[in-house]
Formats: sequence, C-alpha cells, structure tokens
Amino acid sequence: MLCDICHKREARIYYTEIINGEKKEQHLCEECAAEHTSFSAGKLGGKGELTLGNLLSSLLQGFYNGETKKVENEDLVCPKCGTSFEEFSKTGLLGCADCYKSFGSAIKESLNKIHGSELHTGKRPKGYEQEKAKEAEKRIQELSEIERLSIQLQQAIEQEEFEEAARLRDRIRELKAEEDQDKEGAPNA
Amino acid sequence: MRKWYEETAENGDVVISSRVRLARNLKSYVFGSRLRDADAVRLVKEVQDVAPLVKEKDGKRYFLCNVNRLSETDREAMVERYVVSPTLAAKKQETGLILSEDESVSIMINEEDHIRIQAVAAGMDLEKVFAEANFIDDILNEELPFSFDDKLGYLTACPTNVGTGLRASYMMFLPALMMTGRIQKLSEEMGKFGVTIRGIYGEGTKSQGCMYQVSNQKTLGRTEKEIIANLDCIVDQIIKQERDRRGYILREANEKTQDKVCRSYGILRYAKQLGTEDAMALLAQIKFGMDTGLIHLKGELNPHNLMMDIQPASLQKLIGKNVGSLVRDRARAEYIQKKLPDIE
Ligand SMILES: [Zn+2]
Ligand SMILES: [Zn+2]
Repeated sequence: MLCDICHKREARIYYTEIINGEKKEQHLCEECAAEHTSFSAGKLGGKGELTLGNLLSSLLQGFYNGETKKVENEDLVCPKCGTSFEEFSKTGLLGCADCYKSFGSAIKESLNKIHGSELHTGKRPKGYEQEKAKEAEKRIQELSEIERLSIQLQQAIEQEEFEEAARLRDRIRELKAEEDQDKEGAPNA
Repeated sequence: MRKWYEETAENGDVVISSRVRLARNLKSYVFGSRLRDADAVRLVKEVQDVAPLVKEKDGKRYFLCNVNRLSETDREAMVERYVVSPTLAAKKQETGLILSEDESVSIMINEEDHIRIQAVAAGMDLEKVFAEANFIDDILNEELPFSFDDKLGYLTACPTNVGTGLRASYMMFLPALMMTGRIQKLSEEMGKFGVTIRGIYGEGTKSQGCMYQVSNQKTLGRTEKEIIANLDCIVDQIIKQERDRRGYILREANEKTQDKVCRSYGILRYAKQLGTEDAMALLAQIKFGMDTGLIHLKGELNPHNLMMDIQPASLQKLIGKNVGSLVRDRARAEYIQKKLPDIE
C-alpha cells in the first residue's frame, strides 16, 4: 500500500487521529508520518498539542528522526569508521555497517540502481524478531509516563475504546500541566 | 573420501556444478577496508573457534588453516579448485578458512566480508547447496552476532551484496553456444533478467575450456527462493539453447566436428608439451565429443576434473616441487596422457 500523503513511498505506519471528535485513519510512510504527526522521537514531549500516532509501531521499526536537511553527498563522512562518501564512490566498499545509515539517501539511490529495490524480503537471523521485541520493550521502559500513556492512548483508539481514550487523554493533559507548572515554579533550577 | 567434483550428476552435459555463497559480517568489527591487522587476527580466531560446533552439527570433518600463511602455490591451487576466492588468496592480512573434507563447504574468513560461506555440489542442484549454506549460516549465527538491518537485511561491505548476501551460480559447459558465437548475445539477454555470465574464476576472468559461470546479480528485494527460482528459469533456457545448438552442429557439420574432436584427442594423446589454455580448449573438445557421442572412450574420464588438475599451481603440487613453465608444460602433457583412456 502506498502512503496517503506522498503516494510514492510504501506506507509502513498505520496512523489514527481524532479531529473534532471524528476518527480519521491514514496509512503513511515513515517520512510523511514524521513530518505530519510530530511523532518523531525528538519531538515527543516537546511543545504543542500531542498528536496521536502509532508510536509503538514506529518504535518497533526503529526511529526515523525526520531530519531532511540536504547534505552534499561528497561531504558525508561516516562518524563511526571515518570512511568518506568520496572514498566509497571510488572503491565501492563501505567501511562499516553504520555507513549504510551515515550515507543515507545516497546509499538508497545506489541500491535502487543496483537491485531495483531498497527493501530486504529474504532470510532473517534466527531469533531476530524476539530480540527486536525485547529491544522495543526496553525502549518503552525508558519512556516517560506521558510517552507511555500516549502509546496506550493510541492503542485504545485503534481498538475503538473511546472512553478509555478520553480518560488517558485527560490524564496526559494533567501531567503536562504539572510539568509546565514545575518549569514555571523553578525556572532557575 | 570422494570430493564433490568426483560425483556425477544430472544435466552433467551442460551444468558442471552448483554453487552458493552467503556474505555475512560480524556486528563487533568494522568492514575489511577499515579493519586493523590486530583485529583481523582476532576476527579469524573468533570465527574459527566456532568450527567445533560446525563439525558437531554438520557431521562432516573440517580442516582449519590461515590462508595468508600458506605458500603461494598452495593458495593458487585452492583458487583453481574453487576452495577459496582470488580475493581471499591475494590478501596479506590474516585470513582464515574452515573447509570440509569433501571440499563442498568452505567458510572464508576476512574476505571482502568477514565471512563468506560457500557450498558447492556437482550438477544442477542449487536448492541442495543453498540448504547446506543456510544450515552453516544458522550454526555460525548461534555464536556470532551478524550485522543485520530490518530493511536492508544482511549488511555487506559492498552494497551489491546487501540483503540476502546470496550469490547463486552454475558452472556451465557451453561449447556449442561458444562455437556459434552466441555468448555475447546471450549475456545481453540475461542481463535484463538480472543474471550475469562470465569466466570461471570470477569477475574479470576470461572463459577457459568453454566453461562459464552464470549467477544472479541482485541480492536485495527478493527472497533466496525467488533468486534461485529466477536463476533456474534462465539456466533452463540456456541448457535448451546449448542442446539445440549442439543438435544443429551435429546435423549440419557432423564429419567436420567429429574430425575436430578426434584431432583434439590426437594432440592430447601424443603432444610433448601442453600449455594450460591449449589443454583446456582441447579437453573441452573431448568433453563435447563424449557428451554428443562423437567419440567413445574405453575407460572413465571426468574432463572437468582433469581441467582442474592441469591448472598451473595444482600441477605444481602434483609434481611436488617448484618448476619453470617449460617443465610444467611437459608434465601437463604426460599427466593428461596417463589419464586419457583409449578410443573405442
Ligand atoms: Zn509519504
Ligand atoms: Zn562507517
């Protein structure tokens, strides 16, 4: 299924929001979800109204940080191994596993050229799914109360338990208000 | 114990062997181009430490060695028998090998990727060799965490191998397609389906003895099964084309072709000096003659085995000492005469 916003990329996040009491469902790609929903990890708990997205699924998929700042490929250097994109272009060899992330869109472009695809569909290491679930569990443990409640809120909406959703929403608002008060109360702390 | 290449197999007139290679990297090391010498030593040891587990689960006998510490002749001979890749054999840094007794499974360590698992069998059976490589992969992965990404799959030093890390290939004997000048055209057609054809010792090597390696190009976006099915589909077509051309040659130029085959036999039988390329071309004629019934030999002959035996380094090892190329050419001629059965 293609993304409802850009109609280009594969939709990977099932996203629900409630606008004026009406439930609206969307299927979004990660990029659009990050942009549209303010649900990227960095923005969570920041200012502004908390928008509801499927945080859980984006946690499981790994964070997409939403930074679309254009960098010239030639200047890219992998922070882990020090390989530059220029070196990679010459030798065709990456320096470490992190290079795939460090060279982001440039790598994706070349993968599309070589393979006509940028998505693995084959074998996964034995026990990979369990390990991933464990990792997600750990990340959830590290979340703040507000973040955790917002996941529960999203789940409640998905299961159409709107009473529970309303309760959770109110609780989140309370917590946010408390947080703001704390900040105002001790600005120099 | 018989080596894998001593077995006879189905479609043996066109498909010599099936081979699978899986590329894997360990999470805890940078890739080869950035790997320091001390870490290479650690890497080789860490992987070779899993060999007892491989032995135990696979039930085969395995041998270990550090390829970089072998003599040049030994390393080249391993390349000639496809036990290691030219890349591994050429590396100065610490490199390792875990090799099964029948040479059907070889685990290369610190090649372009940290680990290259290779499985091979005679004839046309990719599914079997893939199952073998996959089994070894699971065993290694029990002890060694591999670099794997949710979307990109197995991460490899070169993006051309990312995803499945799978290179599946058939070694094919294509004398009729070669004689009728069809290889270039075939190569272009196959390219459209993500399949490449090249000489037997890998990238950039030229064909010898009408032997070609046909393999998948793409490793990402398809499952292992799909990659193998796609390759099988193309290879079925090549087999059919090769057999059609052989039929055509036999119909249109039977006597001329038989003459060529018999002359080749004559040279192999009586020559005093034979260079590698020469001998390969002549042996290809013999295999072609045997497969098409143009000549009948009284005893058994596996031309492909003989082709491997007469490669420079392998021959050197048979002679038992380092000799110049003239002495080697003489030894090659003698060796072939000993192996070649009489004509019926
Ligand atoms: Zn989109
Ligand atoms: Zn890197």
